[in-house]
Amino acid sequence: MSPQLTLQTPLELAPADVPTYLEQLWSPEQQGSTGTGANTFCLLIWQPAWAEQHLIRTGRLNGPITGQQSDQLVAAGQQAVIDADLPSGTPPLAEAVISAVAGWDGINPSEDLRGQYIDPALSALQPRRLITLAPMIEADHPLETLVAAYCPLPEEGGGTTACGDVVVLRGSQNALEEGLAILQPLLPARMPAWVWWNGSLDEAPDLLDQLAGTPRRLILDSAVGTPRQCLDLLRTRVQSGQAVNDLNWLRLSNWRETLAMVFDPPQRREALNHITQMEIDVESNHPAQGLLLAAWIADRLGWKLISSDSDDEAINARFTRGDGVEVRFQLMSVPVGQPSVHPGQMVGLRLICKPDSSPGVCVILCTESGGCMRLESGGMADLELHEEIVPVQNRTPEMDVARLLGGGHDTTNPLLASAAPLAASLLP
Amino acid sequence: MSAMLATVTNPLRVGLRQERVIAPQCLVIFGASGDLTHRKLVPALFELFRQRRLPSEFAVLGCARRPWSDEEFRGKMGDALAKRIEEDPQAWEQFVGKLFYEPVDLQQPDHVFRLGERLERIDEQCSTHGNRTFYLSVSPKFYAGGCRSLADAGLLKDPKRSRVVIEKPFGRDYGSAQALNRVVQTCGQENQIFRIDHYLGKETVQNIMVLRFANTIFEPIWNRNYISSVQITAAETVGVEERAGYYETSGALRDMVQNHLTQMLAITAMEPPGRFDPEAIRNEKAKVLQATRLADELEPWNCCIRGQYGPGGSNESPLSGYRKEPGVDPNSTTETYVAMKLFIDNWRWQGVPFYVRTGKRLAKRLSEVVLTFREAPVHLFDAAAGGPTANQLILRIQPDEGAEFRFEVKSPGSGMRSRPIDMEFSYDDSFGEPSDEGYVRLLADAMLSDPTLFTRSDEVEAAWRLYTPLLELIEDSPWQLPVHPYESRTWGPAAADALLARDGLLWRRP
Repeated sequence: MSPQLTLQTPLELAPADVPTYLEQLWSPEQQGSTGTGANTFCLLIWQPAWAEQHLIRTGRLNGPITGQQSDQLVAAGQQAVIDADLPSGTPPLAEAVISAVAGWDGINPSEDLRGQYIDPALSALQPRRLITLAPMIEADHPLETLVAAYCPLPEEGGGTTACGDVVVLRGSQNALEEGLAILQPLLPARMPAWVWWNGSLDEAPDLLDQLAGTPRRLILDSAVGTPRQCLDLLRTRVQSGQAVNDLNWLRLSNWRETLAMVFDPPQRREALNHITQMEIDVESNHPAQGLLLAAWIADRLGWKLISSDSDDEAINARFTRGDGVEVRFQLMSVPVGQPSVHPGQMVGLRLICKPDSSPGVCVILCTESGGCMRLESGGMADLELHEEIVPVQNRTPEMDVARLLGGGHDTTNPLLASAAPLAASLLP
Repeated sequence: MSAMLATVTNPLRVGLRQERVIAPQCLVIFGASGDLTHRKLVPALFELFRQRRLPSEFAVLGCARRPWSDEEFRGKMGDALAKRIEEDPQAWEQFVGKLFYEPVDLQQPDHVFRLGERLERIDEQCSTHGNRTFYLSVSPKFYAGGCRSLADAGLLKDPKRSRVVIEKPFGRDYGSAQALNRVVQTCGQENQIFRIDHYLGKETVQNIMVLRFANTIFEPIWNRNYISSVQITAAETVGVEERAGYYETSGALRDMVQNHLTQMLAITAMEPPGRFDPEAIRNEKAKVLQATRLADELEPWNCCIRGQYGPGGSNESPLSGYRKEPGVDPNSTTETYVAMKLFIDNWRWQGVPFYVRTGKRLAKRLSEVVLTFREAPVHLFDAAAGGPTANQLILRIQPDEGAEFRFEVKSPGSGMRSRPIDMEFSYDDSFGEPSDEGYVRLLADAMLSDPTLFTRSDEVEAAWRLYTPLLELIEDSPWQLPVHPYESRTWGPAAADALLARDGLLWRRP
């Protein structure tokens, strides 16, 4: 399915007029002309799309600016990694790429359709209101406020028309911050409101605080931003009781499922009580996902963290199991030929279990996108080996977000709630 | 985490069953004061809630004629689920707030109008998006009227946001099933109608499809060239218990064969669908049922045996016969056992007999599908059992869910004698966790608008049409299909053994 555009040209209004205009749009007198207002949810998106804006400005990508992760955008990012002479393992939309492209000349103009270019996975959910905050790279661009009614038309037809509206706040970051006052009345308390921070967790922390207070449900990506900030923010938000959804955690689901599968046969479960060593390899230099996986395993198995430190090559930690035996943990960043668009994706996991009265067990999980030769070496000849390949998930962030919105929860997944604080503690 | 806990349950598996997420909605249960609601439906919903498969924007509205309040309904459900609540009182505390109740008589238009208003209020209160699943857990005689009332009140007009689940039995025969289909299809589109058959909710029934179509080794031999016969058994050890009133009007043919066993047959015998898509699968099931016939339609007594359990057991714990059960006519000719032989007239199965049997008070509780393969063309070796045993693939539906494959191996020793051995797959050994109840799966699928595991109108009609010669015979000249008595806790009447003996076969004695 191709993305859908709003049916009418968005109307540019003065910011102060937006709430009144929308109130009138959904008033009972107007409903005949616009369909029924969907009684669903509101989604507020922080949509900086810095990489896309710069790549289009420098002529490395064709417009319009959509804020969506397309194959063309990823390919342009990959080319920029080469042109900027960045390390080959740099993810194509990483901060380093944005910084490099931002320094290049270019003034290619482009239409900005952020907020008006709606992924079908999202429109299928019939959101009542999509509010997009679209900061622009021009530092002095004044605030523009666009409004449009929007009725998703399923390609297969059928269904009654349950409409929503889109609101776009566009301008420099300062201008956007000045326009925030209109947001509160646009997010009615009777409907669940989600905030999707589709940018780095390092940027605009004050803005994030203003936008994503409870009871709004927060969607973030702990792979985007410095690891310390990502994991601390995740921990803080989870511990505050807010419903937090982490796309980086969601992308771990195949790893969690595959590892659980290894220990499904009851005769293998005893080995879980005898793990002495856990090693994780991740792509590039971002350990958040690997630490979340390690934290989930440690939490599920009742391990206590004793210490954690790091050197140039690895993060090393020690846990104690329930029976007091020590478990050593190591996380390493390893080079990969074609890095994922998401920084720090899992490459491999090795668990070594040494029961007292039976042969040891070594479990290795490897991503299907690359090998895990480091984990497959290192004297495991006397261990019973279980090796599994973990399928790569090829879903766009929009699809993941739609998945979260489609089955919304007003609390954080308990597994993430337990793992996030421990993952933050694991990062020295 | 103690060592004990780790070996009982897989700690890494906890919380991972979140495959598909149900969209915000309100589930409306008609017949909410009945047994099914507190025995199966609400426990299944609570289980889904514990697995975090229900969204926070979710509500259950119980409806029945009794003038209960929300609180009374919640209290009654709490009493019924007391044991489960003990395991997770915190989850129940969160879940119970999602239960509501509205006194509704579906035959009263003003009640249904009031129901519509209540649903709108629930939409406001719980943000359930006007998305509704209506579950008709009422007497079958109210199915048609119930659907009509919902349609008349405009509650089914959005095919994407409203659906109706209808319990079995769907009709009493071909004619009544057709008539009911005509009514429900005027109330909504076919993809809004979910005809439930809880056997299809069983993991092991679904596994037949996975086994056949996810592996390359089975499908090439899954046909008349390699398979000589198929047996499908659903045996119960219990008697009629408290269901005499219903059972007297249905019997084993209507209660088990027309739905559960026929669905197992369809899944076992269907052609591979082009894709895993509800309509593609249901097309294939319907096609195979349309090609199925009684082995002797003109003289059905040659291919069908009816039985009725008599007394049995021991002196210490005697078991009474069917006619002595409370609520049963002392001269009842209702069958508690049916065995029959069917053929499927298509390229895949031409000439392969399908033997189907079900009964109450049989020797063991089990459901299984047994595929017996043709013998090797030349016998090179002596066999321990005289002749080589035919290869068999046994798909165990319940209990001890799994599969086994029986084949010949060399018996240890200096000679070259062969003997059969069993290669086993057991759900317990491989997964070590109990499967969800069928209703958990089916309720979730209905709320997901996934009809794959529900029977479509043409499937239901084809299944009824298949047994029409038998039903007519039982109606018009029952003496031609007598009920053979059999001792309780045995494998049924001798006449059923004779049915297979005529083909030189035996029922499998599991």
